[in-house]
Amino acid sequence: MRELFTASLVMSTLRLATPLVLAALGGLFSERAGVINIALEGIMLAGAFTAAAVTYAVGNPWVGLLGGIGAGMLIAAIHALACIRYKADQVVTGTAINILMFGMPGFLSGAFFLSSGSTPQLPKEQLIPYTPMVMAGLLVPLTWYVLYRTPFGLRLRSVGENPAAADAAGVSVPLIRYSGVLVSGVLAGIGGAYLSIGQSSLFTRNMTSGRGFIGLAALIFGKWRPVQTMLACVLFGFTEAVSIQMQGVVKLPSGEDIPVQFIQMVPYLLTIIVLAGFIGRSRPPRALGLPYEKE
Amino acid sequence: MDRFTLFLRAVLLCVLVPAGTACHRQRDSADDPSRIHVGIVFDIGGKDDRSFNAAAFAGVTCAETGKWPKGDTCGKPALEIVLRDIEPGNPTSIEPAMRAFAERGYDLIIGVGFAQAPIVETVAKDYPRIHFAIVDGVSELPNVASLIFKEHEGSYLVGLVAARTSRTGIIGFLGGMDIGLIHRFEKGYEEGARSVNPNIRVIQNYVGVTDAAWNNPGKGKELALAQIGKGADVIFTAAGNSGLGAFDAVEQAGRVNGRATHFVIGVDSNQNMVKPGFVLTSMVKRVDNAVYAIVQDVVNGKFQAGIHVYGLGQDGVGYSMDQYNKDLMAPETVREAEDAKKKIIAGQITVTDAMAK
Repeated sequence: MRELFTASLVMSTLRLATPLVLAALGGLFSERAGVINIALEGIMLAGAFTAAAVTYAVGNPWVGLLGGIGAGMLIAAIHALACIRYKADQVVTGTAINILMFGMPGFLSGAFFLSSGSTPQLPKEQLIPYTPMVMAGLLVPLTWYVLYRTPFGLRLRSVGENPAAADAAGVSVPLIRYSGVLVSGVLAGIGGAYLSIGQSSLFTRNMTSGRGFIGLAALIFGKWRPVQTMLACVLFGFTEAVSIQMQGVVKLPSGEDIPVQFIQMVPYLLTIIVLAGFIGRSRPPRALGLPYEKE
Repeated sequence: MDRFTLFLRAVLLCVLVPAGTACHRQRDSADDPSRIHVGIVFDIGGKDDRSFNAAAFAGVTCAETGKWPKGDTCGKPALEIVLRDIEPGNPTSIEPAMRAFAERGYDLIIGVGFAQAPIVETVAKDYPRIHFAIVDGVSELPNVASLIFKEHEGSYLVGLVAARTSRTGIIGFLGGMDIGLIHRFEKGYEEGARSVNPNIRVIQNYVGVTDAAWNNPGKGKELALAQIGKGADVIFTAAGNSGLGAFDAVEQAGRVNGRATHFVIGVDSNQNMVKPGFVLTSMVKRVDNAVYAIVQDVVNGKFQAGIHVYGLGQDGVGYSMDQYNKDLMAPETVREAEDAKKKIIAGQITVTDAMAK
């Protein structure tokens, strides 16, 4: 057990929670404005691929990060246009984007790198392992402040709860919703970039492996509130870090290794226990998923 | 829409997300019916995993063009074949891909990876006149060649090298998906390490239990960092793309006096050049040779079904030495490894095959 709880466990937790926090906060801005963002996974993939490809091309991870943000915004803009302007079903649009972004990096990497879904590996000097972690940490209080202490935050929440009332008060519902979804593109784009040019050193096919969806779960888990959502992400990160540290260390009383399958259940088991035991009812923004029709 | 339906729909749609198939056509070299047509279906990792699938791709590319995918000569003649490859986006698109080749009357269809064995079996039954080959799987059908490697023998040698190079007496093993085939790497590695240091500690980890485990370099790196945290200073990866995370982890650990403090051992393809100076050696599995040979057999009309075994003796597995790692391994270690290699080939050392029943 002594080998289990160490400083490296803390660092591992933070590294694993970073992409989740960024994705979940992204989801928060979109969903608080009333637009469901299932597309987080696809936005992260876009951010991850673009960040790695741009960094490889220009040799500078900061430009790569900007590229990742740009790609995230672009994909988010498509989602926003379909959902807000054309009032498409938000879940269907998001899923379509995810499917598109599952294949797109393979197509583009074929054109740029003659590969089928991964980018060349970057040297250590061209990675930014810490900045996105710090950004994720700072974004939590910032999100809280914007959401609860600024006029924009009030408008964002109001168009997510009761767009008709907000409209009557003179708030442009589409404008606020566009902003919310675009901000979610920025944040999820950073989250994706962290995966490819922070945590690892290349993009590989479908490398998000569900982190966008976990971020979304954390958002529901955290009742669409920034601090609680971050705590949910840290919990997910922590349980995964524990399962990583446990493998091959914690043994059965008989001296045999605990089967990997069992250890990898730990994060999900803990999640269910916490979800069932401590969270209670989680209420989404009232207008979530409903396109706004001006009367 | 209430919360529950919302969540339900989200979950349902998430399941449908990975439904794409990446299909790549090779250079369109006029579909000449007189030439031998070869179709290859890769594993989930994809042909640029710099590892297992990359080796298979190198083999068929060599057969098609006489060159490696990067363009330099592979030292073997081009076989005048027409080559098509498919990278399935998920396990369910493997069978349709294979049937598509069969329907178009291809002469040889190659399935790459253990997961395709049952699929090759099903499809090959329906097309008895077409030749099939399965890499890492076994089928007893009369039109299927099973290309099997003695990974445990190659892993034994790199285990020996790892134990000799380790200063802490702790070494790591990072597997991809937790399956019998990967246990074969692990068992051989451990035996090789114990042959020179009976007290060595081997920390073994697996990235996951589904095929996503081959494509998660972030988690691969976390596992490798955890092993380093526990004192491991040499890590052998057998995890496809996820293994590349271990390369990042040892690089992050850095160098002292110009020499890396931690090393990684690559797998399947020669990965010594991935992070020069940090890669001790690679346990190469010559899938390229095996695939080239089976294509050549079909071209020459000498296709033989049944099990084709590639061990140390057939140069089917081994460890790589090149300009990138020649200064990393001590000469005595290389001598010792060569000695063990001879003994394994001669049958004086038997390495346990974790998959043997």
